[in-house]
Amino acid sequence: MAEVEHNIHRWVGDQKPWTQEQTRAQFRAIANLRWYIFRNGLRRKGGMSELIGTILLIPLFLAIIIGPALGVGFLAGMFVHKGHFQYIVLLLWAIFLLAQLTSIQLGQAGTTFDPTQLIRFPLNFRGYAAIRVFFGLLSPANAVSTLMSLTMAIGITVAEPRIWFYAFLTMGVFAIANIFFTRMLFIWVDRWLSTRRAREVFTALIFTFGMAAQYLNFTFNLNRHHGHLTPVNAARLAAATRFYHHSEPYLALLPPGLTSNSILAAHSGQPATFAAEVLGVLAFAVLFFVIFATRLYKEFRGENLSDVANAVAKTPARRHVTTAAIVAPVSSASPLHFSAPSTVAAVLGKEFLTLRRNTGIFYALVAPLIMVVFFANLKAGHLGTDLLFASAVAYTLMGVAPLCYNSLGLEAAGIQFFFLAPVRMRDVFIAKNLMNIGLAVVEIVAVFCAITVIGRPPSALVAVSVVLWAAFTMFISMAVGNHRSVTAPKKVDIAKMGMAKNQTGQLSAFISIGVMLVAAGVGAGIYAAAHFWDKPWIMPLAALVLAIIGFFAYDRSLRTLDQLLADHRDTLSETLCKA
Amino acid sequence: MTPAIAAQSLTRTFDGGFTAVDHIDLAVEPGQFFGFLGPNGAGKSTTIKMLTGLLAPTAGTVSILGEDLVANPVEVKRNIGVVPEGMALFGRLTASEYLNFVGRMYGLDKPTTQQRAEELLEFMGLANEQKKLITDFSHGMGKKLALAAAVIHNPRVLFLDEPFEGVDAIAAGTLKAMLQGMIARGVTIFLTSHVLEIVERLCTHIAIIHRGHIVANGSLDELRAGVQARLAPDASGQSHSKLTLEEIFLATVGSETGITNPEQELSWLK
Repeated sequence: MAEVEHNIHRWVGDQKPWTQEQTRAQFRAIANLRWYIFRNGLRRKGGMSELIGTILLIPLFLAIIIGPALGVGFLAGMFVHKGHFQYIVLLLWAIFLLAQLTSIQLGQAGTTFDPTQLIRFPLNFRGYAAIRVFFGLLSPANAVSTLMSLTMAIGITVAEPRIWFYAFLTMGVFAIANIFFTRMLFIWVDRWLSTRRAREVFTALIFTFGMAAQYLNFTFNLNRHHGHLTPVNAARLAAATRFYHHSEPYLALLPPGLTSNSILAAHSGQPATFAAEVLGVLAFAVLFFVIFATRLYKEFRGENLSDVANAVAKTPARRHVTTAAIVAPVSSASPLHFSAPSTVAAVLGKEFLTLRRNTGIFYALVAPLIMVVFFANLKAGHLGTDLLFASAVAYTLMGVAPLCYNSLGLEAAGIQFFFLAPVRMRDVFIAKNLMNIGLAVVEIVAVFCAITVIGRPPSALVAVSVVLWAAFTMFISMAVGNHRSVTAPKKVDIAKMGMAKNQTGQLSAFISIGVMLVAAGVGAGIYAAAHFWDKPWIMPLAALVLAIIGFFAYDRSLRTLDQLLADHRDTLSETLCKA
Repeated sequence: MTPAIAAQSLTRTFDGGFTAVDHIDLAVEPGQFFGFLGPNGAGKSTTIKMLTGLLAPTAGTVSILGEDLVANPVEVKRNIGVVPEGMALFGRLTASEYLNFVGRMYGLDKPTTQQRAEELLEFMGLANEQKKLITDFSHGMGKKLALAAAVIHNPRVLFLDEPFEGVDAIAAGTLKAMLQGMIARGVTIFLTSHVLEIVERLCTHIAIIHRGHIVANGSLDELRAGVQARLAPDASGQSHSKLTLEEIFLATVGSETGITNPEQELSWLK
């Protein structure tokens, strides 16, 4: 040991000038780091199945993008061949928008570690920027836009071989501008979404946008009008076309417009105009890169993007806690008496607080209700309120039931408290399930009120039957969900959570959908049987039997929970407690 | 002499308007073992982050070994080693992979990096954990690895944020000996720790930060003299010549932290 210590002290810290080779070694080290992280990731639980999933997804992704890419190339060639140059800009806008949508849906290429950690090493800004640019090039969005730009260039070349050089040059510059635009956009979005409040606002915007899109879909979908344009829709389409023509001169100044005009210039044999248009696109690319680099530079200098600083800033001034304030609640009850109701009440209170601060779940609950309102407005007359109520309740339960399947996900390392505290896990789960039932009740009441206001209330027989069926569905979902929560937990990072997705594992999500489908099938069977025999009283009776069966199944599952949790304590700790 | 660490009017204000570090000046001489103390939330970690380039100051300047941190970050960073607050380890690497990565990032050649990584793992008692991923390490093992990573490039200035937290007594003794050896060779160490006995034993100079301001700065004797000057002799007429660092610390910031005598306040614990 002494020899080793001696060796450590022997190192001579003579500093020679930093060399290019050392910079190249840094790049290689980061490439190796990514490989090690990927390779070692396979060693952890579920790592191999994640890899298999990714391998299966790659051909699917390629199949999805290769088709449109070939289509874009074909259309570009056809437009050039037929002289319809005015349509090329539409293809370019489509590529541009598709790149952004792909980024939103599939995300940016992750570096599998927080790249801002690299700023502690002796990297200069150029090196840091190069690493950030280079390691983000393989994102799905970049792949989509680059591939489509390439096929467009090929299509144009096939249609008019003499402008092949111009086609590849301008489409190459367009692809670069697209890449930098996406990188610029998302690095700034990351900055804006660095606080929980900003993420909540963003989620609200996405939610509103999604609901608005659904509203437009319900209201203007041409297929709903038997493929014919109604006079109202025709007028709206004409207005949209006029708006497009008015904005066309301005759109021509943006990269898709400039690229389209450059192709036209190349076709017309105007190299100067072509050069000006391409330089315009290049200027945009440089602008996007500069804005991207501005943000990178702030990262490189070191900045705080977490909620922590803000949380500290908002911490109220320290106040002295009086003895009375602490003693009163404790002294009012025997400290050694931990009754189940107090456990349930405490956990229920905590669940409520968590729910109140989780906008993702909030939107997941509200969205189905809004959809029901849209749908009820349109279909109340066609379906009848009985069937509408039944389908609306089933639909809204699809937002509530999945929450049972990862009840411990939000606890993270806090799960250890439940292991330490003198509580039975069945009481903890009862509280969590009471919250699930409470949410289901709120949803059902809201659906009932919405349908009553829009049309008329469903018949009492149907209303009772549907409520009993909902109870059956929730009991079964909770029984299965509690089991999955213990045996297949998934840690949910509340700091990164925006939308409600990813709150359960993939398999649990499939199981929850399966349970809902089976329950819906049983419900539909009862409804059909009651109508077939013309005996409506069958519905509430059968639903009551189902609810009772569901309750017993749930009760039975609760009895096994503590043992189940003891058997899976290691899995839970490993999954929920580690970073 | 050029200070090893110099900060002038260093300030950091966060988005919400909260100023964590407020115009502090520091000058740490080469070869000093400098202890930086403060209560929770006083601004210690924020200061270390600014001194090491992990956090941009809102105002003020930092220079390490005479090099300005903003103007020449590469030169500064290659001369410093850091054990940051959260250790900044890559959980999905093994300890050996991590040290090899860090060594290469600091510009060491491959054979040197490998040799040092092996020696450090042996020195830190981690040589038998070669196949374990860092995510499976205990907190103390993580600390030891973070310290190994901080010294692999033989830095001239070392910043240590709570390096002994969670480290067992045997390892802590070895680490302390290593750090004292580095000091003997002229390395400057900037240490924060809540274990005041360690700071008292190791550090030649101490600064205390409280609510973003430096409220005491000097050698232990100077700090002691400062407190003595403020405190009157106690009832028995004794002077305060043997004040420990803990007593100095409490006399400097304890009365303002809001913590009062627990036996008086929480009578129900009796």
